[in-house]
Amino acid sequence: MAEMQKSWRDGALRLSTLPLLVLMGLFFVIPLIMTALLSFQGTQYYRLVWTWDLNVWTDVFSQIHYWKIMWRTLTMALVCTLLCTVLAIPIAYGMLHRLSRWSDQITLLMVFAFLTDAVLKTFGWVLFLDRSGVLNGTLESIGFPPAAVNVLFSPNATMIGMVYNLLPYTIFTTALSMARIDRDLVLAARDAGATRLRAFVEVTLPLAKPGIWAGAVLVFVLSLGVFLEPKVMGGGTSPLAAELIRQSFETRVNWPLGAALTLVLIVIGAAVLAVAGALAFWQARRGSND
Amino acid sequence: MKKTKGIPMFSPNRRTFLQGMGAAGLAGAGLVPGRAEAATSMKFMCWEGYDSPAIIKPFEKANDVSVSIDLITDSPGGFAKLAAGAWRDFDVVATDSPWVQRMGPAGIAEFLDDGEFADVYEDFYPQFRAPFAPLEFEGKTTGLPTRWGWVGPTVNTKFDKLETWRSYAPCFDPAYRDKICVLDWGDWPIMPMALYAGIDPYKELDDKELNEIRLVLRALFKNTRAVVGDLSVAQKGLMDGSFRTLIGGGTYCTSALRKDGQKDIMSIVPEPKDGLNQGIIWMEAGGVVKDPVDGAKANALLRTLTSPEVAVELAWTEATCNLVPSQKAEALFTDEQKDVLQMDYMWEAWDKSHFHNVAPNMDQMLEIWSQELAAAN
Repeated sequence: MAEMQKSWRDGALRLSTLPLLVLMGLFFVIPLIMTALLSFQGTQYYRLVWTWDLNVWTDVFSQIHYWKIMWRTLTMALVCTLLCTVLAIPIAYGMLHRLSRWSDQITLLMVFAFLTDAVLKTFGWVLFLDRSGVLNGTLESIGFPPAAVNVLFSPNATMIGMVYNLLPYTIFTTALSMARIDRDLVLAARDAGATRLRAFVEVTLPLAKPGIWAGAVLVFVLSLGVFLEPKVMGGGTSPLAAELIRQSFETRVNWPLGAALTLVLIVIGAAVLAVAGALAFWQARRGSND
Repeated sequence: MKKTKGIPMFSPNRRTFLQGMGAAGLAGAGLVPGRAEAATSMKFMCWEGYDSPAIIKPFEKANDVSVSIDLITDSPGGFAKLAAGAWRDFDVVATDSPWVQRMGPAGIAEFLDDGEFADVYEDFYPQFRAPFAPLEFEGKTTGLPTRWGWVGPTVNTKFDKLETWRSYAPCFDPAYRDKICVLDWGDWPIMPMALYAGIDPYKELDDKELNEIRLVLRALFKNTRAVVGDLSVAQKGLMDGSFRTLIGGGTYCTSALRKDGQKDIMSIVPEPKDGLNQGIIWMEAGGVVKDPVDGAKANALLRTLTSPEVAVELAWTEATCNLVPSQKAEALFTDEQKDVLQMDYMWEAWDKSHFHNVAPNMDQMLEIWSQELAAAN
């Protein structure tokens, strides 16, 4: 701790953070403040009116449907984060150890899929999952009844799209973390009699935690703002927060309401991350005390 | 230069300021004449189709001006952009007619002199001639109509009979559960449902009427398979029969399919119910934004957009095909084009429809929509 305090007194170090501070100030803090100020204004005849009142916030806190959509968004984001994290661990491990010969090719394919435009990928899923799509066509050809899989335009389809589009974040961060683990530690555990599973659970997994955590945070934050998947794959019948905000800004031309809902979503996301961060910190501290 | 009564006053905006700075620089270098000339560039906010090179290039050549295009993807968003201050940067706009009309009370419209456009109105069908109420504000004209069509059930006759959709009743029939697609296009899907509930959504509504709209939307969402914003997804469902109709759609959704040979797909309007017309006529219009750099050239662009030859170009685009107000243009369409546009049906649709106009309770209706959609699943 003393070392950290000393380093922050270092003028050169503080100077080196200046560009980042300026960037964050210009492109994050100032827009955030402007968004907050906007939420205290009103609209009249589809034009912004500088009223400085709490009408929009009263509206936000009195309308249950806003909170229903926020709750749904939070739940979907948490489930998506969990699924991406759980799926990424065996995939990353397999890439590095079981399929290490093909690791480069697999990475290349994943990067290719990752960098392909999300609109194309999402519409591709529509063609695949549709009642008359590729999946049902294939199933029908091997004897299943027509439209056996009726998942498109449902929250499940939204989740499939979210996990598909966000999974690479957790795979890459987890794989990066696992690749940096000293292989000798795992071999030592095996020499000491640990099974492969026990060595993975007690050595690999704890050491890969930083990457798993980073991937989970990335996926959670991005999940809160998903727009395409609920709209295109989910069929728009279970809207999430991003759609609600878009509708406030664009369709209703109610920018103060859109700004207030944006802030609500940011606060919810930050609060969840703060709680998760505190838990991780508490766990790490308990681990070091043990 | 800002136009005022009598003496021209200089009131710079961002563009005139930059142009002035540029001109000053060039003048300093001795490259331009000292006196300001007419505008050499103008900015046009419009829907896709209006930006066609076949329309814009000849206009640029004839008027010695370069037109930069700003495409809009939704009319309220385009209006909000103008109202927030972007009107200073634009000369002409072409968008849904209620939003052109709204430019009047918002103080961002340059009102048109109907006399100056008398020859243009002369070419229009009588229904669109001046004085044309849907584009008037306090008796002054905010724009000229450019394209139109109707909102009503879109039917694929491979799967349903046209007669089935002479009413919106199947939207609430359990037999059609999970077969209805609602277009997520602002107030478009709300208006037909309000009409089905026996309410004219274009007049001032009381709480009881708003509650009726809430109930009809609630019932609609029970049968809805998807609320779709993307036209291609909606069209695909209509073609393969997974969507039996598109609520909030109409000729705008079906014409491109008919153009591609899908003549089984049609747009109709329901029969009047309890004396209330059930169809809706939508229209796009062009208007001049307040204080254009060159008012004459802005008016010239409006003239171009409404001329019979350009009207045919506007009617027949890649994404969608639509009717135009120019009667003179009708003779320029082929029989095939007339069939695609369902021209033989257009006046029947007109007679059974309301004109899509500024709805006083639009925001409340959108809020109800949002509440009911959130509660539906």
